[in-house]
Amino acid sequence: MTTPATDAAGTRPVSEPLRSVPGRPGRGRRPRWGGRRALIPWLFLVPGLILALTFKFIPMIEGFRMSVFEVRPFLGDIFVGFDNYAAVLGDSRFQDAFRHTIFLAVVQTTGALVLGALLALLLEGQTRRLWLVRTGVFLPVVTAIAVVGEIWRILYFPTEAGFINSVLTTLGLPAQQFLSDPNTALWWVAVVGIWTAAPYNMVIILAGLTGVNRELYESAAVDGANTLQRLRSIVLPALRPAVSVVLTLAAIRSLRMFTEIYVLTGGGPAGSTEVWMTRVYSLGFNSNDLGVASAASVLLLITTLALTIGVRVLTSRKESR
Amino acid sequence: MKNAPCPNRRAAVAVLAAGVLIALSACSGDDESSAEDATLEVWTRSNAEAAASYQLVFDAFTEETGIEIDYQPVQEFDTQLQARAGQGDLPDVLINDASSLGNYVAQGFVLPIDRESIEGHDEISDETWEQNLGTDGAYYGVPWSRQANITFIRKDWREELGYDVPTTWEELSALAEAFATEDPNGSGEDDTYGMVVPGSAQAGYIARWGNSYLWQAGAEILEDNGDGTFTSAINSPEAAEAMGWIRDQFCTPGIVVPGSVNLTTAETPFFGEGTAGIYLTGPYNISTFDLAVGQENVEIIPMPAGPASSTTFAEGETIYFGASSEKEDLQKQLAEFLISPDAQEIAMQVVETDSGMTTQPVVRLPVNQNVDIVEVTGDERWGIVQDSYIADSKPFPWSIDFLPFRQILADGMNAMASDCNSDIEAGLAAIDEQFQAQLESQDLS
Repeated sequence: MTTPATDAAGTRPVSEPLRSVPGRPGRGRRPRWGGRRALIPWLFLVPGLILALTFKFIPMIEGFRMSVFEVRPFLGDIFVGFDNYAAVLGDSRFQDAFRHTIFLAVVQTTGALVLGALLALLLEGQTRRLWLVRTGVFLPVVTAIAVVGEIWRILYFPTEAGFINSVLTTLGLPAQQFLSDPNTALWWVAVVGIWTAAPYNMVIILAGLTGVNRELYESAAVDGANTLQRLRSIVLPALRPAVSVVLTLAAIRSLRMFTEIYVLTGGGPAGSTEVWMTRVYSLGFNSNDLGVASAASVLLLITTLALTIGVRVLTSRKESR
Repeated sequence: MKNAPCPNRRAAVAVLAAGVLIALSACSGDDESSAEDATLEVWTRSNAEAAASYQLVFDAFTEETGIEIDYQPVQEFDTQLQARAGQGDLPDVLINDASSLGNYVAQGFVLPIDRESIEGHDEISDETWEQNLGTDGAYYGVPWSRQANITFIRKDWREELGYDVPTTWEELSALAEAFATEDPNGSGEDDTYGMVVPGSAQAGYIARWGNSYLWQAGAEILEDNGDGTFTSAINSPEAAEAMGWIRDQFCTPGIVVPGSVNLTTAETPFFGEGTAGIYLTGPYNISTFDLAVGQENVEIIPMPAGPASSTTFAEGETIYFGASSEKEDLQKQLAEFLISPDAQEIAMQVVETDSGMTTQPVVRLPVNQNVDIVEVTGDERWGIVQDSYIADSKPFPWSIDFLPFRQILADGMNAMASDCNSDIEAGLAAIDEQFQAQLESQDLS
């Protein structure tokens, strides 16, 4: 290997440290150290890269491969082209699951955004008491979803002895069937989703609110604007970036929702709460149809990607205006 | 200077390669086992209590033969098995549900066996052996344990309320209602229910619970044509009668624990907790329930009869020989030991291990005809289980991959039980249609 002429002139690009070592003017005291130094970040990255490669990227590529095969791990897979994709798209249960997923995505995202915004407006401020309340309100976010599901399943117990029902009957309202009624189960699942996601949105919106220039409020007050007007003309525009982040995250989260449903209802009753991921799970692990399950997962990935890019493009266009 | 840049890269590559190697070797399991000839890798689908029971049997085997057992109790059995199959390296011996036979044969996981060559084969009845026939007429695996679902009743509650042992559906239903409404535990509160039902469609739970009632009404699920093909038989007036009765139980407040349409067996601790008094389930729960509510309060009754019969659901476990194993002789030795009276008896007992754990019996009903279960367990209730099994029990067809059928049936039953105004005829017709499609896709029609 010869030393490139550019090195002598000191025009070496930073990304090519090794070549420059011998002839670098001025900093030649420890000639080989510069090269090693450039390697150090990569060495630190190696464990992470290996983990990501082993547990993320290789399985992902394997998922793509499996989606075009009839998977038979021991006898050898059979190539079936896009048959698995056709099976997913033609399956009425997947179509139902898709509708439920979209329903939950819309209802939960809207609900959690509205509730999160209300909480943020209520709990904005500096006092110590608020800090304590905010921490309390944030708890659902840091609680394991399986635990949240299990607790809500107990709260939703569908007799008058159940916790929420006992509150309802005390208030003179009729007891509810909650998750046992196929017509309403999906709504009650959405309530749990909103309860879990709202505090997270609250934090992001709170961060957005602190970014609002206080002087704007003062000038608005001087101009005689009432609370509603201030909300519409100052707060909402200032929150737009925060809201776009919240929306993107919530949409992605809703699409790949699994644990809450699995713990709360297992997709029942009568398949009324089955979502995309629970259907994938049941096909893959209960019916052993890994090819079709992989195809469904790939479709979900593509949808998520398209949605994320779509939202990014839309919001960046708005912001650049 | 020529070599100067290289060592750094080499070092980096070496570190990377070492990392990859460590990661890969962590995944590859013990590939060496095939080299050590006197060790058998055995998998069972067991929790800790059942695994303790298996361990006692395997210890006895090692003591007798000197053959070491590398024992792995695996809870997520089929998922893990798929992973091992992907590496082309299956365990030498798998002990799992007898109903997995068709599924395992279709996937090529298990080896056919020569029934006559197994020492002690004549101590197992022909009927039991025939359950291990594949659709190709070959035997796969050796029977290990059998069981029939049975009805558990809270005896103290029943006697407290002055009811007789129920012998029909109507009486069973009336007793369940009494448990829910007549305060059998004397607490003065409305805190008890009738039947425990894992009614979720997840993993087919409601089908496993409800198929006994389908059969008791004279209904069939799949009809075996005897030539390797099957016909869907679910869309019948008998099935409609059974489904109607099942739905009535779900729709009469208190007869079934509320919210049961969403519950799996992991979420139905009500019998053991003393909040419900009737449970149709497997007899392996006897020891658990005895510990929870007292042996004197746990009653097992002969199946209350439906309109046609008192048929109950039969299940079992089979010793399968892993297809990638080259230790045929050792596999056979282990199977021969496991079906011997000694081994069957060890696996039927409830004992406390050195670590203080109480074992859960892994042989429920012995496959060996020379073993008397009542004598071994000293428990008359096991005699009722055995009578039920011998007199009138029926398994799902084991020779085919029944899992997809069970899931379809469970989804349909769950939908009909969830809605008190459901159209049962339409529901059964929908199951029938999906059965036919499934039969076609498995080349069974």
